[in-house]
Amino acid sequence: MGVTAVLTAAACSSSPSSSASGTASAPAASGSATSGNITWWASPITTTSPDPRTVLISAFEKVYPNIQVHLQSAPTDTDTNRASLITTISGGASSPDVYMGDVIWPAQFGHSGLATPLSSYFPSSYWSSFAPGLVQGATYKGQVYGAPFFEDQGFLYYRKDLLAKEHMAVPATWQQLETDAATLVHKGLVKYGYVWQGGSYEGLTCNFMEYLGSAGGTALNANDTKATLDSAAGTQAANFMHSLITSGATPSAVTTFQEAQSMSAFATGQAAFLRNWDYGWSYSQTASSPSSVVGKVGVTPLPSFSGQPSPGTSNIGGWNLYINPHSKNTAADVTFIKWMTSPAAQTILGTQFSEIPTVQSVRNSAAVKAQNPVLAIVGQTRLIPRPAQTPQYAKVSQAIYTNINSMLSGSTSPSGALSAASSQIDSALSSSGL
Amino acid sequence: MRNRSRHGWRRVVNGINLAVLVVCLFIALPLYWMVASAFKTPANVGASPPQYFPHPLSVQNFTVAFSQNTFGHYIINSVIVAVVATALVLVLGTLAGYALGRLPMRGKFTVLVVLLMISVFPAIAVVVPLYALLRDIGWLNSYQALIIPYTAFYLPFAIWILRNYFLAIPREMEESARIDGASPLRTIWSVILPQAWPGLFTAGIFTFTACWTEFLMALSFNVSNDYRTIPVGVALFGSQFTVPYGTLFAASVVAVVPIAILVLIFRRSVVSGLTAGAVKG
Amino acid sequence: MSTPSVAPAPGGGVDVSGPAAPPPARRYDVFRRQQARLGWGLSAPALILIAAVTIFPIGYAIAMSVSNVSATGSGFTLSGLTGSNYSIMFHAAQWRYALFFTVFYTVVTVAVEVVIGTLVALVLERLTAGRGWMMALLLIPWSMITVINAELWAYIYNPTYGVIDDIFSRIGLGSPVILGTRVPAIAALMVADIWKTTPFVAIIVLAGLVMIPRDYYEAAEVDGASGWTAFWRITFPLLRPTIALAVLFRVLQAFGLFDLPFVLTSGGPGYSTQPLAILAYNAMFRDLDFGPGAAVATSTALLVVVGCLIFLRVFRAQAGTEV
Repeated sequence: MGVTAVLTAAACSSSPSSSASGTASAPAASGSATSGNITWWASPITTTSPDPRTVLISAFEKVYPNIQVHLQSAPTDTDTNRASLITTISGGASSPDVYMGDVIWPAQFGHSGLATPLSSYFPSSYWSSFAPGLVQGATYKGQVYGAPFFEDQGFLYYRKDLLAKEHMAVPATWQQLETDAATLVHKGLVKYGYVWQGGSYEGLTCNFMEYLGSAGGTALNANDTKATLDSAAGTQAANFMHSLITSGATPSAVTTFQEAQSMSAFATGQAAFLRNWDYGWSYSQTASSPSSVVGKVGVTPLPSFSGQPSPGTSNIGGWNLYINPHSKNTAADVTFIKWMTSPAAQTILGTQFSEIPTVQSVRNSAAVKAQNPVLAIVGQTRLIPRPAQTPQYAKVSQAIYTNINSMLSGSTSPSGALSAASSQIDSALSSSGL
Repeated sequence: MRNRSRHGWRRVVNGINLAVLVVCLFIALPLYWMVASAFKTPANVGASPPQYFPHPLSVQNFTVAFSQNTFGHYIINSVIVAVVATALVLVLGTLAGYALGRLPMRGKFTVLVVLLMISVFPAIAVVVPLYALLRDIGWLNSYQALIIPYTAFYLPFAIWILRNYFLAIPREMEESARIDGASPLRTIWSVILPQAWPGLFTAGIFTFTACWTEFLMALSFNVSNDYRTIPVGVALFGSQFTVPYGTLFAASVVAVVPIAILVLIFRRSVVSGLTAGAVKG
Repeated sequence: MSTPSVAPAPGGGVDVSGPAAPPPARRYDVFRRQQARLGWGLSAPALILIAAVTIFPIGYAIAMSVSNVSATGSGFTLSGLTGSNYSIMFHAAQWRYALFFTVFYTVVTVAVEVVIGTLVALVLERLTAGRGWMMALLLIPWSMITVINAELWAYIYNPTYGVIDDIFSRIGLGSPVILGTRVPAIAALMVADIWKTTPFVAIIVLAGLVMIPRDYYEAAEVDGASGWTAFWRITFPLLRPTIALAVLFRVLQAFGLFDLPFVLTSGGPGYSTQPLAILAYNAMFRDLDFGPGAAVATSTALLVVVGCLIFLRVFRAQAGTEV
């Protein structure tokens, strides 16, 4: 990516003019600051003690004793979180200095000047230390806006005991999974066959992208100017999602499921298969979650469609670290981010808290892989991002999840849903509709 | 006491009583569900089929809310903001409500309508410019960051309510007080207010509740943990993919206690207002 | 009011130091002016505070709705005067639906709440013992933080471990998908709102009820009026201003409906439970379209104001706009 720095020293200016491109700044803040006071805005990562955020801060302050990090806890709902940040930053506040944000924000925030471009602060060797696809997802118009902090991916969780009972192998194709799930339901062994996130919200876009990617399709064209999901691949994906419900493999209640509901259904033993993020492992193996399936769960990369490459594609989720353009401590911010994405911090995240590290070397290390079965198979997944490279992503995603949800609840046909989504995406990308 | 023998009334009232019993059940059952779930163990909150009675009883949700999530701190902040804002609203609102109800001001209907328009404007559109305004004054992350906007936004409703009740008070009492030489403030204090207790109670309870439950401005202006109020604090419970219903309900059970206490305290004032109303001609 | 009879000298202060008192008409004018000044003085603190806090933000929001707004990290740049935000809004199917849904929702919930609330107030007024406890019970839903209220109902409607799902399964009606289907989701939202807000109406009506003098009823009894007649001929007409006030403010609140659908349904499924306030919020804070979002917010406020003005005109006397 171009390292032609076009960043004005926004942190130093106090005039209310918008930060425009112009003078190239000397990247003096390349992680060399050793003192300062910074505020870190981050939502809770886990619900159990100890809090990973405080653990990381203490470890950081041991290495840099003269930098004080003040944690500000952000709302757990990502939309509320974003609204609060938008209000704060566009109101010109200099605090928080660093904030933890969703992986789908870079285009939107970069476009509106709500995050500092980071490319000039780090050498290119830094960016190549991350797992493939992550930095690209944080790039908008050639500038990287977020440093990948930790990642989420989709996995298939299954009930080992039920499969063993019916002498079923772990399904390697979607069609096989559908058959297996329907069989288990019809035999009365389980209430739900296969549960996932089908509610009318962002999570459905993640699920849909996984089926679309497995079928070999894309959502947008290369320039992000036109929708491409009304294609053969898109049709295969949509038809399959629809058939999951009509065949009885998936309950119709899935149209209201978000992560919490689908996880709970699986962990209380009511479902045989679950598609969920990596946290599903520790959740299902902790009896107090509540979970009654401790010791009965297996995890594998998502299946694919027969005739398509295997395994199926897994959607990229997770969180990046961004810098507030009004921050007065950019040098210290960069130091903080650099440490949080260093092998030391990433190893803590991986080994102590079972989060997927973003740094490739840490991800492949034996210590992290031995942590739990999910981390062990992270290297085997094929990844697909959401089409978040455009600042209009929120509308694109809404077009996808509202129409697919409508299809799942039976109000629209798969082809109708795809063409409606396509036209809504096109109008969102071209003009500014409401 | 009243001594009535109204057979017609009583029959009708009994029919109404039955309907209201149904209504009371409708109100009480979800409340029971919330309180019961607060006392379940965190694991049983998500049990399927649901536990209709918590077994075993547990206060774990409460300990989590108060220790892990520093809930007590948020309660204090909410109390301070709500009490001060309500007091301000009642004082300023009584003066303005009396003036706009009783005194011959030209254009007062316009004023009243403008007040209405202000209270109607959606908060979301106002939050960002108001944030910038507060930032320029330097009031962000403070108690006044919430008290002043709450007072300003809830005054119009209080003025309307109070004015409505002031209007129902007979003029003769005020005029006799004025003839006796009482100043306007004294008239308000000793003549109007005692008569209008129900209105004050209504306006006070409304304002307190509105301040107590307001979310958007509290989220935007008081970002620092020291000044967070209950609604914002509750938004921090859990993590990205989990909704800790048990902790939420435990927090809510605790949060309704101040309101219940307020009502029980003011109940006597309302009752005395009622009997005063019974005596007056 | 009355015409001055003689009094050649116009205006000016009243000379009360003279031996002859000024004509009654002018004295009354002076008195009125004094009273008016007093009125402005008493209401000044409230009005100044309100103006100081709200004029600038509301004005800014209105300005945003008629300009091209670009959001940058340092604030907003408003350029030009344009109707494009409103044009976008009018052409958006989402806006038309949100408008319809908001109006429909308002009408239904306010109607139900007024009926139930008045009933409850009538009985509360009759209660001698236990009124305080009953009121405390009633006020608990109203005082619950809306977010928690919404989570409570989400918990009740949950398809996996919710109470309603369990009851339906036990009866044998299968598993209803409440929040995922359009009509049940709307109904569920209304139930949650009515549960929370009926006590508010009940309290307002109760306060109005207790201010009706007792002797009206006693006189009616003497004349032989029975229960229902007494209600319709005495109570209801005297209650009308209070009920009108309750309706007025409930309509205002219902039009600004935000917290409940935000938490319970996020406006879903699709846009089925998306009122105008959430549409504006999404436009501004999710899509960063501040111009059109401000247009939605401003037009909503305008609609409500016009509606209220019409309402007040119809109920002019009842709403107490006497001079």
